[in-house]
Amino acid sequence: MAANPATEATLDLSWLDLYDDATSAEPGKKGLTLKEINLGRYADSARGAGDMTYRMRGAIPRPGAQRFGPNYQSKADVWAENCLMLYEEATQRQWSSARDIPWDTLEPLPDELERAMCQLATMLTEVEFIAGDVPGQWMPFVSAQDFEAGLFLMTQIMDEARHTDVFRKRALANGGGLLAQGAGLGLRTLIEARDFTEMSVLMHVQAEGFVQSMFRMGELIGQTEADKRIFRMSAQDESRHLAFGVMHLKYVLDTEPERREEIHHYLDKAEGDAAGGGSGDVTFPPVFEALCILLGGGVDKFDEGLQKFLLLRKRQINEYVHRLTVAGLGDRRQRLGPLMAQFLDPA
Amino acid sequence: MSTGEALARAAQATQVEIPQEARDKARELGWEDGLIELALAKGHSLQVIWQALRAGVDGDRAKEFLQAGQAAIPRDLSWMNVPTEWGIRARPKDPAMGLTIADLMIGTYGDVPDVWTNRSEIARGSFPNPIVEDMGYTIFEKALVWADCCIPLYEEAIRDRWVSATDLNWNSLEPLPHDIERAVCQFLTEQSERAYFTGALWSGWLPEISYGFLELKLFLSTIIYDLARHSEAFRKRALANGGGLGLQAPTDFSRVAKEARSFPELAAILFVQDSMLYTLFSHGDEFAQNELERDLYRFVARDRKRMLDYHIERMKHMLFKLPDRRDEQNLYFNKAESRMGKEWLDPAVSEPLAILLGRGVDHIDEGRRKLRDLRKLQVDNYLADLQKATFVRKHINGRLEQAAQA
Repeated sequence: MAANPATEATLDLSWLDLYDDATSAEPGKKGLTLKEINLGRYADSARGAGDMTYRMRGAIPRPGAQRFGPNYQSKADVWAENCLMLYEEATQRQWSSARDIPWDTLEPLPDELERAMCQLATMLTEVEFIAGDVPGQWMPFVSAQDFEAGLFLMTQIMDEARHTDVFRKRALANGGGLLAQGAGLGLRTLIEARDFTEMSVLMHVQAEGFVQSMFRMGELIGQTEADKRIFRMSAQDESRHLAFGVMHLKYVLDTEPERREEIHHYLDKAEGDAAGGGSGDVTFPPVFEALCILLGGGVDKFDEGLQKFLLLRKRQINEYVHRLTVAGLGDRRQRLGPLMAQFLDPA
Repeated sequence: MSTGEALARAAQATQVEIPQEARDKARELGWEDGLIELALAKGHSLQVIWQALRAGVDGDRAKEFLQAGQAAIPRDLSWMNVPTEWGIRARPKDPAMGLTIADLMIGTYGDVPDVWTNRSEIARGSFPNPIVEDMGYTIFEKALVWADCCIPLYEEAIRDRWVSATDLNWNSLEPLPHDIERAVCQFLTEQSERAYFTGALWSGWLPEISYGFLELKLFLSTIIYDLARHSEAFRKRALANGGGLGLQAPTDFSRVAKEARSFPELAAILFVQDSMLYTLFSHGDEFAQNELERDLYRFVARDRKRMLDYHIERMKHMLFKLPDRRDEQNLYFNKAESRMGKEWLDPAVSEPLAILLGRGVDHIDEGRRKLRDLRKLQVDNYLADLQKATFVRKHINGRLEQAAQA
């Protein structure tokens, strides 16, 4: 099909009858979702070869289309079987840090607790900032043949923006402020990744997994109803990111099992970096101490908090290994570094 | 502790693998050889020892601490007293909007610097760690990226969110004549690709922008999310009413945006597209064929208005701060207009719109007349938008001018 410049006198219309299959997706119980339009030649299962343009899957290639530089040509490089569902869930569950958090329930806390909460919020606003940049870095490489994975990443960018802002809001809403910058939080490994799967296993599975395990202890960490709601709402978002990562890893291991050792290699590096705490490291001293104070309920209950902190680490590590096992990387259990292995329950 | 317990713990300690990083750190802090093993033998967990090492507990203090038989680990707590601005109690100025990021622009936390110098991911306003890795940001100059409106627009974008799956009445769709359905599908195939591409393009620029301009990055995240939704909503409509996806979009304009070597160039190029598309979708009632499309185009236009507001204010701000870069913008506008003009002449771009505006291929002459009016309006509004940004574009690219009159 040649799309020639048309003038008043001419009519091209060659685009009008390029296909003869009529498609009529029907809305389901949740409306017209990506699942309902994943049909026929438009389905991910009918994915053809990519062409380094941004042609959407199922669209007719345009002769003479220019390339846009390299992007992933293989579905396994970016795909997760749950990305259609996760995208729709993300759009349904967007929330507002301005209006969905009961800021009016904040009440003055003892100084040490407010400082500990502000220190934790300072660290988290940093972590979430990077968590938005990282998928952004990879978006240009996600082919429109796998656009649902790209759409999901764009919802993640939005989620992380909201997390970045909600923790900043928390630090500045209750008589406190931001405190010490995190350092050595293991965030460089996320931005250093040179492959999508490397990025995903480090960010979605490891870093967001650790953060998720912590958010799920938010009832213990949070000192006010607002704090607890922040952790609950954020955990809901993190669950999606984590689910994408686990299912992406599973897809890679199912379809390209030869990449297993390569993926171990990335994890060897990430578990070793950040002082053995992994990406989003909560063992960074100000964060560790802030968590012990919050979990214990004060500086004078630091040791009680320490015991709960150790439980948090135990939970983080065991859930991490469980997620890797679900994805098909159960042999990671034998390869964990000692600072993580110390918390591992027997198989 | 009894001797038996001590021996049992020592035996257990020998089974704990001590990471090399811990040994290196201990040596650096002057811990005697065997002190880590002693701490393990005394019942301290590897994690607790590691926390002491990370906290910088030196060898003498560690030894003294272990000999005294203390159960707790030393604490630092110096982070509690770093010299940041303290005592901040942000409150919603507009209860209907809730606690917005505008409400956080208090004291030093509201200072957006002209030049941000920290190369790490430090949160603006927190106390910097003196030894941190460079995270690779490249944009540190406020004048290049900033617009004050990004602060309210971020919260407005969140307030105005919509969901294509459930906020559009998909059950209301009824079959359209073949030529009209195909025209809708061709138009939306093109627009779906443009939205996906532009979302990916903006995304790729996020990691370039440093934390100094946090609020801008938050706003850009909403743009990216909006574009994702536009892309899938257009695709859904194309696949919902007996049509399908047509010919992929022309690549000329998107390529020139992709080729941008700097953020100002990117923003100038996208100014052209976003102004034109705002005018197009804000006149969506003229080419929508049913209620669903009218609703869809209204949602899209509302989102695109925020993008355009950002472009106008960013450009105005940049030209005010960097007046020597004014003429340079003509180069980017000219490129963008030229590619856009070429695409407007593409039959797969112009004919579907003409059919939709004329209500059928039989009325395409009428449709073309209406399209000419719409194209003229797009160009006029674009020039007016530039004027709002204090930029007078004396001559638009000839190819665009020709395309607008075709």
